[in-house]
Amino acid sequence: MADKLNVITIAGSLRKGSFNAALARQLPKWAPEGMAITQAPPWGDIPTYNADDQNSTGFPASVTRFADAIRAADGVIIVSPEYNYGVPGGLKNAVDWVSRVKDQPFKDKPVAIQSVAGGPLGGGRVQYQWRQICVFLEALAFLRPEVFVGMAASKFDEKTLEFKDEAGINFIKQQLAGFEKFIRKVTGKA
Amino acid sequence: MANVLTICGSLRKKSYNAALVRALPALVPDGMVLTAAPRVDTMPHYNHDDQEATGFPLSVNAFADAIRGADGVIIVSPEYNWTIPGTLKNAIDWVSRMKDQPFKDKPVALQSASGALLGGSRMQYHLRQCLTSIDALIFGRPEVIVTFAPQKFDAETLELKDQATRDMIKLQLAGFAKFIERVRAK
Repeated sequence: MADKLNVITIAGSLRKGSFNAALARQLPKWAPEGMAITQAPPWGDIPTYNADDQNSTGFPASVTRFADAIRAADGVIIVSPEYNYGVPGGLKNAVDWVSRVKDQPFKDKPVAIQSVAGGPLGGGRVQYQWRQICVFLEALAFLRPEVFVGMAASKFDEKTLEFKDEAGINFIKQQLAGFEKFIRKVTGKA
Repeated sequence: MANVLTICGSLRKKSYNAALVRALPALVPDGMVLTAAPRVDTMPHYNHDDQEATGFPLSVNAFADAIRGADGVIIVSPEYNWTIPGTLKNAIDWVSRMKDQPFKDKPVALQSASGALLGGSRMQYHLRQCLTSIDALIFGRPEVIVTFAPQKFDAETLELKDQATRDMIKLQLAGFAKFIERVRAK
């Protein structure tokens, strides 16, 4: 039996009722046997990036904690809403901080991307922005299948936020299974 | 006469982009007056729950009012990790949710400076994509993409010394003044 892979999710929205955070919380249900999925530490308390602050007082504890969790993981799944056709500023700020950390945690890190949106594209535009960011970070962005959840309001239970869409669940299962293979291939982890 | 607001995407003191903003007043056409927007690091991270519970923070209102009151906006920003700095995007995310959304039909020009050969252009095209979502009127060309910034700014004073860059900025600002005039509601 191969070692279980430790994969963390980073949700791009801070609101409690977020569809993206709800999807991230439910991913363990659909993980393949060889993958354990947990949530990354919160990024909401990371201050706005300013190189002067970094030089005078170093990296805040919230940044170090976030970076350590990414570094320790075998893979990362970003589950992000699309804000104004792009990446949410809050989460991007967290990435801006960790990109400056020595032993930059995203380097050579397998990263899968998912997005949920109320409209028909399901966050298509934000995912390609994340992919561009991954190039800079030298993260290893997983390719296909991609997971775009469009028309979100019709696919989550209104009360419990349970993701109920069968077709969507199948895509997610396929992505997670593919992501496990990808991680083992690129990291050499048995 | 055009009142134009400058928004700077970098917060550090020795930022080349902040230096670029400081170079602009000497390069504007007659009748264009520049004002600096409130800093973008005054705003908390966007959280829809906070917006619902306590409304828009004062800092967001101040930023939005500055945009609304201007005839045009120039965003001058570095590129972080090949895209928009999170803090600047967060400010846009906040004001995009407002009633009487301030970027709607607002003329916006873009500038960026970076140490390397692409000059922040990847950030500019992402910004164009995001500004499309909020119905800004995005100025086309000439673009101001300042490459190899350390060669173009004085190392001590951070004054913009490169004549070709100054000429390009003058052209952009003159074009932007005409653009504002053309799209301004009569």
